[in-house]
Amino acid sequence: MTKTVLDLVVNGESRSFAVEGHRSLLDALREEAGLTGTKKGCDVGDCGACTVILDGKPINACMILAVEAQGAQITTIEGLQASPDDLHPLQQAFMEHGASQCGFCTPGILIMAKHLLESNPLPTDEEIRFGLSGNICRCTGYTKIFDAIRTAGKRMAETGMALPATKVEA
Amino acid sequence: MTKQDFRIVGKSVKRDDVIEKVTGEGKYTGDYHMPGMLFGKIKRSEIAHAKIKSIDVSKALAYPGVKAVLTHHDVPRVLHYGSPHPRSASCTKDQYILDDRVRFWGEGVAAVAATSEEIADEALDLIEVEYEPLPGVYDIDTAQLPDAPLIHDVGPGGNLVIPPVHVERGDVDKGFAEADLILEGEFAGGRPTPTYMEPNVCVADWDGSNKLTFWTSTQTSFMVRGALAEVLGLPLNKVRVLVDHMGGGFGAKQDLFQHEFLCALLAKKCRRPVKMEFTRRETFVAGRSRHPFKLWLKQGFRKDGTLVAREMKVVFESGAYGSHSPGVTNVGTASATSLYRCDNVRLNGRAVYTNTPIAGAYRGYGVVQTYYALDIQMDEAAEKLGIDPAEMRLRNAVREGDIAPSGHPIIGHGLESCISHGVEAFNWAAKKGAPDRLVAGRPSARKGYGIGCEMHGSSAYPGIKEQGNATVKMNEDGSITLLTGAAGLGTGAHTALAQIVAEELGVTFSSVSVVHGDTDVVPWDIGAFASHTTYMVGTAAKMAAAELRARVLVRAAEKLQEKAENLEMVDGIITVTGKPGTSLTILEAMGPSRGIPAEHLIATGSYMPTKSYSFGAHFVEVEVDTETGIIECKKVMPVHDVGKIIHPIAAQGQVEGGVQQGIGHTLTENYVIDTSNGRSLNAGLVDYKMPLSMDMPDIETVLLEAAPDPGGPWGAKGIGEDPIIAIGPAIANAVYDAIGVRFHHYPITPEDVLNGLRAKQKDGANAGL
Ligand code: FES
Ligand code: FES
Repeated sequence: MTKTVLDLVVNGESRSFAVEGHRSLLDALREEAGLTGTKKGCDVGDCGACTVILDGKPINACMILAVEAQGAQITTIEGLQASPDDLHPLQQAFMEHGASQCGFCTPGILIMAKHLLESNPLPTDEEIRFGLSGNICRCTGYTKIFDAIRTAGKRMAETGMALPATKVEA
Repeated sequence: MTKQDFRIVGKSVKRDDVIEKVTGEGKYTGDYHMPGMLFGKIKRSEIAHAKIKSIDVSKALAYPGVKAVLTHHDVPRVLHYGSPHPRSASCTKDQYILDDRVRFWGEGVAAVAATSEEIADEALDLIEVEYEPLPGVYDIDTAQLPDAPLIHDVGPGGNLVIPPVHVERGDVDKGFAEADLILEGEFAGGRPTPTYMEPNVCVADWDGSNKLTFWTSTQTSFMVRGALAEVLGLPLNKVRVLVDHMGGGFGAKQDLFQHEFLCALLAKKCRRPVKMEFTRRETFVAGRSRHPFKLWLKQGFRKDGTLVAREMKVVFESGAYGSHSPGVTNVGTASATSLYRCDNVRLNGRAVYTNTPIAGAYRGYGVVQTYYALDIQMDEAAEKLGIDPAEMRLRNAVREGDIAPSGHPIIGHGLESCISHGVEAFNWAAKKGAPDRLVAGRPSARKGYGIGCEMHGSSAYPGIKEQGNATVKMNEDGSITLLTGAAGLGTGAHTALAQIVAEELGVTFSSVSVVHGDTDVVPWDIGAFASHTTYMVGTAAKMAAAELRARVLVRAAEKLQEKAENLEMVDGIITVTGKPGTSLTILEAMGPSRGIPAEHLIATGSYMPTKSYSFGAHFVEVEVDTETGIIECKKVMPVHDVGKIIHPIAAQGQVEGGVQQGIGHTLTENYVIDTSNGRSLNAGLVDYKMPLSMDMPDIETVLLEAAPDPGGPWGAKGIGEDPIIAIGPAIANAVYDAIGVRFHHYPITPEDVLNGLRAKQKDGANAGL
């Protein structure tokens, strides 16, 4: 089968790998790039477990072909923290609040929440709920996820991690 | 030990496994990719009940990239339980890996291994199956007709999975004769599915010594090992089952699935690792659901509300195979002996085969169904007798010494505490007493308040005689390793076990690390189910830690020239009572000299529990739109007695997640099977509608330590299943409170509400549906 060389910037690092034309970006990330933190819960765009940020926008990586992402900048869960010892405020808050149980939804929700908070660090409850409406969590009842996002948002606003200057349009 | 003495237990310490979850580093079974790995796929039947006349796999085998195809001609013909409790009372032996007959739409008939998932998928279409259709049975009523087509040759006859379960106590006829009020009603429930986020997945790899290494997303790795070994004819030390992180299970990942056997066999045939991963659709079609049910309930009450007689008949729909039906039928039927005390009960429970997907184990295991009926009828009786629904429940709540569903006298009864506490905290009297049910700004909406109650056992005793084990060892630097076979399905159980060990042993929490998920390494475990990990394995871990602590103190006593009983150990520092200033660290007491440990310190605790019960009462507020029929659950206050809270946040998380699933089952979730041909109608996340971020109500969880159980660590009992049980009837009762229409089934859909309102208008009375 013919393969295309795909050049991406994943979590700030230039990567290239050969992928078949029918491969989804999700499969390319998980299998070619070895970034298995992004999960496959449905492969048809229904669950949000595969959420990554592509050129500033959150997308379901199962819903686009890898070749469509040619040249894109991608952030996955593995790129959320600045360094191995330095957890992102969202990761910290998810741990403190117990917002992750089985954890299968967690990478997708963290990425979606990062996108939400960077443009709006102090979201209303409605905004948080709406922001996560494409992410299924079956374990937590969402209560602790909402709490964690609020906590993280406050800290990001205080530390300037979510300045208006970094605002990304949805 | 008094409450204030706890240093670690009762605190929401950091869950170690969560770091891996929030960084994406945690390995789930689907994350394993191996060099040369093949991908397996299953060909599924497109007919619900048929004999297979022929299967032609020649085209599939010739397809480039296909490495092997298996049909019923190629696999061992061993009848198995489909569920990994080969020798327990909870399951039925009625499945083959592949059979020459299919019993539900979507059952596997062949399996392919190929160099990519796409090739395997394409090859499935090249397999030609010729069926001889058989008449099908697609619902509970048809299954029980005398001339119903038979689905199995095994079993007690007809389409019964097991002989009917009959429980009788006291004198039921006398009880009814003494009753001032007798209520009778029919109840029913749909087919909710667990819909864990991680689709079932496994990877099989054989080595040169004919040993199978098997990664799989399971709650019961030792049972998987046992069933695989039995069917494949291997000794247990030739099957190694591994599971690290898993993306939920909620009970259903206790079964041993067809794809797991097939994956192992394909890998053996190809001499290459094979991965098999369900699509989301397959998690519905080939997964396990809760048992749909039909139930008839008749109860007699005195004027003061006292229950005097109860008669119940329940039929559970097992689907095409028995799976957990024996357990579910026994537990579900026996559960109706209790919750609300009644001396005179006559209960009959059955499970029937139908040509539909398999119902299995699912959080709440048979009890969700029977307590739905019990608690709705309790509400009806309260109204008829003019007694407040909460007061009615208090009068009838099960008490100390009452015979529990397990047949044992109850030790510690938390139900009254849960109800009383909730009545206060929810402001029940004021809410129920409000003059109207109007919603400000929404003229078409009505508010309603409801209560539901539950009790549930921690452990599957007496159905299964269980055993929990834990091994604790001290390394030569004083750090502690806990080895447990309990699965980490996301509940935080490993953290709770580590807390228990640290507390009992007298070391810091951070000095304990947990090893799990490898059947070659950890002590045997029956699996993570029946709300028993903290209760049962927790006690085993506490026993092991106590032994280790005693041995440390003996050695420290020698060094300090003191009596061991005068020594204390806290945070790894050993002190002498009454002699401040004299102390030793663990390392000083146990540390190596010239690299050799002072003593090899390892201890194993083994615990066979009987039964304890946790209790709960849920208080809910709903809004029902009388124009659209939509029911919104606005607020939930779940009050649970768990004996002793080990990790508050993890325990709350169990409650909130259980409430979420329970709301879904009651209002929107139903995996629908076409009753004319057995086909699935909504096998996907969009058509199977679960409550998500936009739908969840405010949940204000209350955890009580009202009735500690002597069999659990410091009195701790289970909490995994309880929260899914009481929410259903609480919602149904709240809907009645809002609009005056009684529903006896779930899910209660908007269409049901509108039909109910119409019927009520027509009859001018409370139309029951
Ligand atoms: S895996 Fe992409 S949305 Fe579910
Ligand atoms: S934590 Fe399990 S799905 Fe969200």
